[in-house]
Amino acid sequence: MSLSAPDLEDPQDTYTLNMGPQHPSTHGVLRLKLTLRGERVIAVEPVIGYSHRAHEKMAETRTYAQFLPNTSRQDYLSGLIYNLAWVEAVEKLASIPVPERALVARVILAEFNRISSHLLWVGAFLADLGAVTPFLYTFDDREAIVGLLETVTGSRLTYCTGRFGGLSKDLDADFPRRAREVLVRLRARWPELEGLIEDNVIFRQRTMGVGVMTEEQCRHWGVTGPVLRASGVPYDVRKMEPYGAYPRYAFTIPTRPEGDVFARYMVRIAEMEQSCRIIEQALDGLPEGPILQEGSIGVKKRLKPPAGTLYYAVESARGAYGIVLTSEGGTEPYRAKFRTPSYANLAALQDMMPGSMVADAVAILGSLDVVMPEIDR
Amino acid sequence: MSRTAELAGELDRAGLTAAAPIEQQLVGVAESRWVPPEHLVPAAAAARRAGFFFESMTCTDRLAAHGALELLYTFNRYDEPPPPARLAVRVWVPHGMSVPTLTRVYGIAEWNEREAWEFYGIRFAGHPNLTWLLLPEGTEFHPLLKSFTAPPPSAFDDSLSAARGAPNPAVSES
Repeated sequence: MSLSAPDLEDPQDTYTLNMGPQHPSTHGVLRLKLTLRGERVIAVEPVIGYSHRAHEKMAETRTYAQFLPNTSRQDYLSGLIYNLAWVEAVEKLASIPVPERALVARVILAEFNRISSHLLWVGAFLADLGAVTPFLYTFDDREAIVGLLETVTGSRLTYCTGRFGGLSKDLDADFPRRAREVLVRLRARWPELEGLIEDNVIFRQRTMGVGVMTEEQCRHWGVTGPVLRASGVPYDVRKMEPYGAYPRYAFTIPTRPEGDVFARYMVRIAEMEQSCRIIEQALDGLPEGPILQEGSIGVKKRLKPPAGTLYYAVESARGAYGIVLTSEGGTEPYRAKFRTPSYANLAALQDMMPGSMVADAVAILGSLDVVMPEIDR
Repeated sequence: MSRTAELAGELDRAGLTAAAPIEQQLVGVAESRWVPPEHLVPAAAAARRAGFFFESMTCTDRLAAHGALELLYTFNRYDEPPPPARLAVRVWVPHGMSVPTLTRVYGIAEWNEREAWEFYGIRFAGHPNLTWLLLPEGTEFHPLLKSFTAPPPSAFDDSLSAARGAPNPAVSES
């Protein structure tokens, strides 16, 4: 038996390779149908829907408060941001005031959640590329954040601390000190990560010039978040459509012009430092006062927002998360649609991956930081 | 004048917009226009030319009260400082009517339209691959319709042959 080299001119000389649905680098149940010619990817079709949980249908069959635990289970890595987004959307629809202290505390918690999500990504992504050591460092740091958030929210992964009109629990008197300790620890780590990962020649060769996306391609697919910013577009919902207490804080939107896997890594690393800056300013200006609006609806009483449709957007760790919420004046939402960032980012793989080598497929997929339950909802 | 207002004005001048079929307050968008299905493709193409990206697509069941489904498309910009540039394009889809596909204008429309088809039964004319995206292959009901009632557990057999053989009465004809 002899093996012959593939005929690169022959359009028929292709074969199909299934990656997933059970594959360690898909981080969830995702199947990629790769069409290959030799070792080159010529087409990819992401097949999704393996973990569809019908969140949108559930939202129509329970009250606004009863839906709260569902929110953080869409994106379990930045669940707090999703939880607060739902709370803020309902507050806006029902015109519920929020005390100052809660607004600032939400920013602190959400930014810590963003850093923990990015840290997990750095570890898992490097493990995808074959480097196990960074995983140990980033999980060590992530543990410090998760432990800190646990003292406020009582949860470590699927947070449900948002309440209509504030938060379920106040930050204790010692919280700012512990939070600053975590910031010091994180900032001591950035140079270490730089030496360990960024300056590593193997990492650079695996990531530079791989999976390049242009701004126009991003627009075609509606890409947002770090993937878009790595293509040189300074789009961040926190700046373009400021919400909560974000307009008060000075921070920049890190971008990179290359549009490749390396750029996506660098953008996320730079974003973690910006989150630290935001947390620091928020801790400095943390006002005293109630954490939950007095006489607030809380979760016990029935909430009936006036009829209308609302589009509410926040910046999650993965990009622009949008909630389209329609009320018909009842106790349950009439319709809730979740525009999730990974959905568009994963679809963009169809433009990002063709032309690359099959060995780079894992690096390109990993660079998107997809969370499957958020895509399948 | 913001670029969103410019684009909305361009749609008006080109005669692509229509009167609102229902009164429904819409918050969180810069401009909102109702577009008849036959004008949807030129309207989206104008958004694409003006540099907007396809942000989201939401279908809402208004069959019980109005005999129609409502599609809400939002387009946004990467480069517009606050206030947000979001443009809402709304399409009224009377029961059984099909809607032209936007897959040739925006890549992401392919998935969004498959979702609207499987969950609401809206047909998108010209869609290259109108098949199940999130639901199991072979599902014959549209679960986000308000008229939907859960099928018996047998419809979720691994083979799904049960669902194929015995269509659920809740399935919409559209």
